[in-house]
Amino acid sequence: MARTWSRWLPAAVVPLVIAGSVAFAAQAGAEDLPERSPGDVLALLADRGHQPFSGEFEQTSDVGLPQLPGGVEVPGGDGDAAAVTSALEALTSDHTGRVFVGEEHQARLQVFDTFGERDVIVNGSDVWVYESAENAAAHTTLPADAGDHATTGEQLTPDAIADRVVEAAVPTTELSVREDVEVAGRAAYDLVLTPRTDATLVGEVAIAVDGETGQPLQVTVTARGEQAPAFRVAYTLLDLTAPDADLFAFTPPAGADVEEVSPPAEALQGDETRSPDHEPTVIGTGWESVAIIEAGERALADQPLLTQLTSAVDGGRLLSTDLVNVLIADDGRVLVGAVPLERLQAAAGSE
Amino acid sequence: MPGEKSRTHGGALLVSELRVLFRRRRTWAMLAALASIPVLMAVVVRLSAEPPGPGEGPPFLDQVTNNGMFVAVTALVLTTPLFLPLTVAVVSGDAIAGEASLGTLRYLLVAPAGRVRLLVVKYASAVAFCLAASGTVLLTGWAIGAALFGTGEATLLSGDTIGVGDAVVRSLLVGAHVTICMLGLAAVGLFISTLTDAGVGAMAAVAVLTIVAQVLGQLDQLAWLHPWLFTHHWLAFADLLREPIVWTSFMQNALLQAAYVAFFGALAYGRFSTKDVLS
Amino acid sequence: MSATAPAAEQTEATSTELAIETSGLTKKFGQQVAVNGIDLAVPRGAVFGFLGPNGSGKTTTIRVILGLAAATSGSMRVLGRGVPAGLDDALPRVGALIEGPAFYPFLSGADNLRRLDAADRHANPATRDDRVAAALDRVGLAHAARKKARAYSLGMKQRLGIAAALLTPRELLVLDEPTNGLDPQGTREVRSLIRSVAAEGTTVFVSSHLLAEVEQICTHAAIMSVGSLVAQGSLADLRGSGQTVVRVTTPDGEGAVAQLRHLGLDAASVAPPRGAGRDLDVAAVEAPLSGDDPAPEDIVAALVAAGVRVRGFDVEQPSLEDRFVALTGEGFDVAR
Repeated sequence: MARTWSRWLPAAVVPLVIAGSVAFAAQAGAEDLPERSPGDVLALLADRGHQPFSGEFEQTSDVGLPQLPGGVEVPGGDGDAAAVTSALEALTSDHTGRVFVGEEHQARLQVFDTFGERDVIVNGSDVWVYESAENAAAHTTLPADAGDHATTGEQLTPDAIADRVVEAAVPTTELSVREDVEVAGRAAYDLVLTPRTDATLVGEVAIAVDGETGQPLQVTVTARGEQAPAFRVAYTLLDLTAPDADLFAFTPPAGADVEEVSPPAEALQGDETRSPDHEPTVIGTGWESVAIIEAGERALADQPLLTQLTSAVDGGRLLSTDLVNVLIADDGRVLVGAVPLERLQAAAGSE
Repeated sequence: MPGEKSRTHGGALLVSELRVLFRRRRTWAMLAALASIPVLMAVVVRLSAEPPGPGEGPPFLDQVTNNGMFVAVTALVLTTPLFLPLTVAVVSGDAIAGEASLGTLRYLLVAPAGRVRLLVVKYASAVAFCLAASGTVLLTGWAIGAALFGTGEATLLSGDTIGVGDAVVRSLLVGAHVTICMLGLAAVGLFISTLTDAGVGAMAAVAVLTIVAQVLGQLDQLAWLHPWLFTHHWLAFADLLREPIVWTSFMQNALLQAAYVAFFGALAYGRFSTKDVLS
Repeated sequence: MSATAPAAEQTEATSTELAIETSGLTKKFGQQVAVNGIDLAVPRGAVFGFLGPNGSGKTTTIRVILGLAAATSGSMRVLGRGVPAGLDDALPRVGALIEGPAFYPFLSGADNLRRLDAADRHANPATRDDRVAAALDRVGLAHAARKKARAYSLGMKQRLGIAAALLTPRELLVLDEPTNGLDPQGTREVRSLIRSVAAEGTTVFVSSHLLAEVEQICTHAAIMSVGSLVAQGSLADLRGSGQTVVRVTTPDGEGAVAQLRHLGLDAASVAPPRGAGRDLDVAAVEAPLSGDDPAPEDIVAALVAAGVRVRGFDVEQPSLEDRFVALTGEGFDVAR
């Protein structure tokens, strides 16, 4: 019966082969990039030219909040309540999607749901937003001087996020370059931004900058004192050839609800917290900034969902995450910042 | 005569296996049950006073009235989590255990069928059934959809509109994806089938495993495990209905299922080639 | 496979006369020993009866010999090929009926045979239909070829099972309890089938718990008891090693015992034979007879001369049953 055990050999070998090839795939191709100083990498990032590409990205968040059930309707949740829940949803749930960039002012962002998709298509001055779950489309014509597409479409992509972080944070930040990383099969510099101040919840932000093109491939945000990133958005696949031009010519499908939106109303294009009625006031700079949103018509703290997620503190209710604290003050104002609670309370008092 | 005997007729067992599979009333009953799902769905939509709006009912249902072919896709959405794997569990779980409980396994082995050859043939016939099962849903869906709603332009998840030809290709791809999804399950079923002489027990175990895997896939605490569950990409065929097609999940699924086939095939080989057939 | 072939080829020359040969064959299920170190030798061309009560390890032995179960220890050869390494070569030349027939109930008799024939990769598909028809004809099932197997009676299934074993010309036929479930007519048919197969030169290995069956058709036999082989050899050898007995039926029981003892026989009164049961004055006396004892006719003469009234006198040759009881301490379940 010495033969018997050898029959089980394949069953032992197969998992080893699978584990081996998975490990190999994870290891492979981390080619060496020439050394660069943080300043050089920043310059590489800043000076990158227009590069048509298509890429798949994934965004994961683990900020220490329970995941909200999808499509939670906040009762009576118009305006602020809806804005807060949608911001929460963006913070706590994971997304995958794709981005296509063609000629200048041609871009398409797709955010995937299991059986749905949200699309933002920018083609010159035409902007389309399509939501498959509702079969609803909205169209906007941008004024000629509307600037680049990053403000309209790609809020969720590594590109846009990296640009915003750098713009906002560089003055108060210490820059360093870590060991090269590989993202979407491409070698990249890992530019690390560490806040100079202690008065923030953010431990570090790392941006993987493509060694060749200077394109940001991944952004991770790690909370102070944590090892694993609380937030990560990265390309999983990147193709530096120009996508098919047809992708940017969007015609809403037959039967869809089509709405024509006038240009200033940017609310539809993603960032709903920046609704025109309640333009937030920002106190402080850099990592310590606190945004204050004025009181809406309803008392937010009374919403059952928010009551569940928040805890009572001096001066209001606190929604606490690893990266961001939100204080719903007793007077109805909402204070948001990547800062400790004390700073939010101080900001609420100082107004 | 001895020279004659050394000649082998390898394909005969597979042909015979397929005949046995498709001559069973049980097989046809399962295929008929699968076919009834798109038919029921299409008839209900046709008879309802108002066509379903966006987001109502199962995914793509609102598309059905524009293009009947979406009946096939919606039916696959409905059948993939439960009905389809259930039928695959019956066929694959019964593969060896069923022969054992009938007693025919011993006669096949002394014929001699060869244990490895028998195992390979059994898996091949399970694959054929997976193809037949998803093909049945797809073709019935097409037929009933085209008959009740006609064919026309279809809207993809990305909002782009495609013509009839493209819609056929896309739904074929969805069918291919669903078939591939079942291959790993069939391999698991084949392995479980070598563990027991009770066909019904093996079928039930495979069916339960399907449900357990899907439940585990819902638990966020087990996120690290999710990419390794054979059910992980089962509903990922939505990616084939985007513009342009997202191949990532299709390819990942194919690799994952291949890994399951290799691993559970190896386990089934280890078990079956050393098993005492006492039934 | 190719590595073992030359070795098998070589040894075949030395053991061609044995169709089945086991040496120290042992099969354990956990702690329980089902087959305990048996050394079977089934000569080619023999009709070999494999005897033993139910549960004595016959079927397990057959399963191990045919490679369905792995031996715990010991070695064996079938048609000169080592088991299990050479089974692929040996099994196409072996037809078998193991622990009752088994079929797909939803297939017809003929389709069941086609399926089993297709499983044998050496069977020629071109002649399949003819061979299936011939096998069905041979067991008298030609009329039921297209009937679903679920509609077959137990006897028909048994015959279909034998037909499956005869699909191709075989060198060895292994039949495990082939007359189970058959009526007397069916039993006779199976016996004559076995004889005709044996007449073609096929070795037949028949296991049975029915002694009469084995005695009627076998040239050789082996006796199993609780997993061990207690005797084997030609039928004549097995019988020969038993005792001849003389039996006297007489009204003078005591006189007969005394006279037989006087002749040096170990005589004793036994229960009167059944036929004489009503005859209250009749007694039966038995005595084993060995080689140096007086001839039976001299015994009768001596009894009569001594005034013992002899109503009946028998010389009983040892039967296989007596042999079996002597070896195993059990009787056959004759009713079955």
